Amino acid sequence: MTDPVHAAPDDSTLVRIRGLTTVLGGKTIFDALDMDIARGKITSIMGPSGTGKTTLLKHITGQMRADAGTIVVDGKNVAALSRDQLYKLREGIGYLFQNSALLTDFDVFENVAFPLRQHTKLPEVLIRNLVLMKLQAVGLRGAARLLPNELSGGMMRRVALARAIVFDPKLILYDEPFVGLDPVALNQVLKLILTLNQTLGITSVVVSHELAAVQRIADRVMLLSNGKVVAQGDPKSIADDGSPWTRQFFGGEADGPIPFRYPAGDYATELGLAGVGK
Amino acid sequence: MSQPRSSYAVGTGLFIVLGFAALAYLATQTSSVANVHQGDSYTIDAQFTNIGQLKERAPVKIAGVRVGQVQSIALTPGHDVADVKMSIDKRYDQIPQDSVATIFTSGLLGDQYVGIDYGTAKQVVAAGGTLARTKSTQPLEEMLGKFFGAGGVVDNVGGSYTVTADFTNVGTLSVGAPVKMAGVVIGSVQAVRVDPVKLNARVVLAIDKRYNQIPDDSAAAVFTSGLIGSQYVAIQPGGSPDALKNGDEMILTQSAMQLEDLIGKFLVNGSPGDKKDAGADKK
Amino acid sequence: MSARLRKRNNAVLQSLAQIGACALFLLTLLAAIPRSFRYFRETSRQLWFVGAMSLTIIMVCGLFVGMVLMLQLYHVLSIFGGTSASGMVVALSVYRELGPVVTALLFAGRAGTAITAEIGLMRATDQISAMEMMAVDPIAYVATPRFLAGLIAMPLLCCVFCAMAIFGGHLVGVTWLGIDNGTFWANMTAVVDVRTDIVNGVLLKSLAFGAVVSLIAVFQGFTTPATSEGVAYATTRTVVASSIAILALDFVLTAFLM
Repeated sequence: MTDPVHAAPDDSTLVRIRGLTTVLGGKTIFDALDMDIARGKITSIMGPSGTGKTTLLKHITGQMRADAGTIVVDGKNVAALSRDQLYKLREGIGYLFQNSALLTDFDVFENVAFPLRQHTKLPEVLIRNLVLMKLQAVGLRGAARLLPNELSGGMMRRVALARAIVFDPKLILYDEPFVGLDPVALNQVLKLILTLNQTLGITSVVVSHELAAVQRIADRVMLLSNGKVVAQGDPKSIADDGSPWTRQFFGGEADGPIPFRYPAGDYATELGLAGVGK
Repeated sequence: MSQPRSSYAVGTGLFIVLGFAALAYLATQTSSVANVHQGDSYTIDAQFTNIGQLKERAPVKIAGVRVGQVQSIALTPGHDVADVKMSIDKRYDQIPQDSVATIFTSGLLGDQYVGIDYGTAKQVVAAGGTLARTKSTQPLEEMLGKFFGAGGVVDNVGGSYTVTADFTNVGTLSVGAPVKMAGVVIGSVQAVRVDPVKLNARVVLAIDKRYNQIPDDSAAAVFTSGLIGSQYVAIQPGGSPDALKNGDEMILTQSAMQLEDLIGKFLVNGSPGDKKDAGADKK
Repeated sequence: MSARLRKRNNAVLQSLAQIGACALFLLTLLAAIPRSFRYFRETSRQLWFVGAMSLTIIMVCGLFVGMVLMLQLYHVLSIFGGTSASGMVVALSVYRELGPVVTALLFAGRAGTAITAEIGLMRATDQISAMEMMAVDPIAYVATPRFLAGLIAMPLLCCVFCAMAIFGGHLVGVTWLGIDNGTFWANMTAVVDVRTDIVNGVLLKSLAFGAVVSLIAVFQGFTTPATSEGVAYATTRTVVASSIAILALDFVLTAFLM
């Protein structure tokens, strides 16, 4: 594991991150982060807001370049890929955006068909069948001709999911898939993630901070804080590993290793009170 | 919403067709296509001593009908004549060799063009041939001068005699301006200078010898032809039995009216300023 | 005092940076043209949005510009007894200046802002990122088709504008004020020249304006902060920057072409 760039793609690890360092606007987001994502499993990346969970996904897909470190996806070093190779890689990755990111110009059917139309020259009949199959899988075949603004949040996320899986990817990245969903919609999405993983064997990475939902589906949980993985393990046991990080995060304590206060100068000085007491 | 693609396609197609239709309309209906139409044509030359404001691509007309355009204008090497090449439409290849090419102006202020007046010769001018007979452009000043009777401005051939006249203000009177009596030109202004002693303008008038019977108490006035025309000296005959002789001075003069003064007079019925200025000499 | 000076220097530097970034963005756009050929459909769809959808406003405004121009000219020229030349003056002023400039200003207001707002919202709702994730190049799919559509639509819109202006001038001059129909057309056709007035005036100018307006619109959409305030701000900036660019470029083009 000393030279991850030339490491042979091994069977158990799909995404391997070594020494990832990112500084954004003077703030260190990742500090020599190491992470392995197992093939065929559901891995959940958890952490408080602002720890760069979404940024990590963007690094994996090559949308953002890291300042240092390597990310190897399916044996390919993302940072070293040319544009065309990167696009080729992305065709094998599904990405579910936090706000679904459906193309507002197109109806549900065309949204799901979009990747097919862009990358294949399949006959219209075949495209139609493929799209209807995926829509059936997420239970929205009847909504094929609705426009995105006619859908509820949960439906939009399911359509986005259908779009993400239309190419039968090896890897799906879910960016906050449970935010803003009512309990019914949440369960529908949970069920879909689980089904996709179990029936198609798709490796899934779920970024979330909702422990209850994650515990029901994840094979492995990683807790991210201060630019490092501070704890990892299976969802049942991780909350009990006793480290201050997990205690604070899963216990929901206001202050702890994850500071309550944003870093600032001396309070008394800023108020002009320094030296007054003397 | 079921088939959005085809409606876009139709609309876009309509838009493009409409745009091109508008372009075709502009190009054919509102401009003369002939201006760019360069069909079969042949070239003929003509030499002019003065082409005035004639420009390349200016029209060439026969009997007022456009038959071609000026292709190039160049100075003939070694001569002070302009060589004008004209491309003429192939349909009009029957121009007689002795036709006259003239540079005309459309209207008073319009652009200039070449007009060809047919001659009577049997031979037609060939492609690349030359129209030998030309009439050059007439400078507007000359034409106007002729029109207003100012032709032969300084006609000293017959001999002239000079008289002087003092004015407090000569306006824009310049050397060479006509001297008229009863509207007929009888001479010209030979010099305008300031008298160092009297501090007024001394104008030397050269008058044709034929007009030697002008009474010596005649008045000289600086007038303006028209509202914006040039100025000239008008002589109003007096009643004295003696005639003006060479070197005499005309006593009675009337200075040039300033347009500003005139308007001022007209508007406020005289102002203190113009008394000492314009009307002084006559009174 | 020095703070204000520094602020002004900053503003100047920022404008310069904007212009530089815009020029680089143009290169990116042009480089993406070969790749955007496969999105030909998208280009024609955008042609519908920026071109066909702007037709109404262009036609109505063209009509009124021609009408009011004729009305004004008629009253001025009647002082000199030159009303027969008014059709010709309408044609020349519309072809050389008013047509391209007014069309471009309307185009910036109608289509330019729509492009900026649309792209800004696509970025705010992650649609652009989604395209990148679906291995679709957003420059080739979103930016270049809109740029090309603007480039194609502007000369066509300008021709329509000019034709409507002539029609409006004819309506007022011939139908209402009683200028002779034959004189109206004869004077116009005698003076209007296809190359200097229609090709240089109408087509070249509007092509240049179309390029500038759609470049600014796409650039603002792609560079504004992807928030609702950012989009609102970028829309305003599209109109301001386009208007300045149009009028400045108009002067330069007129100086070179005429």
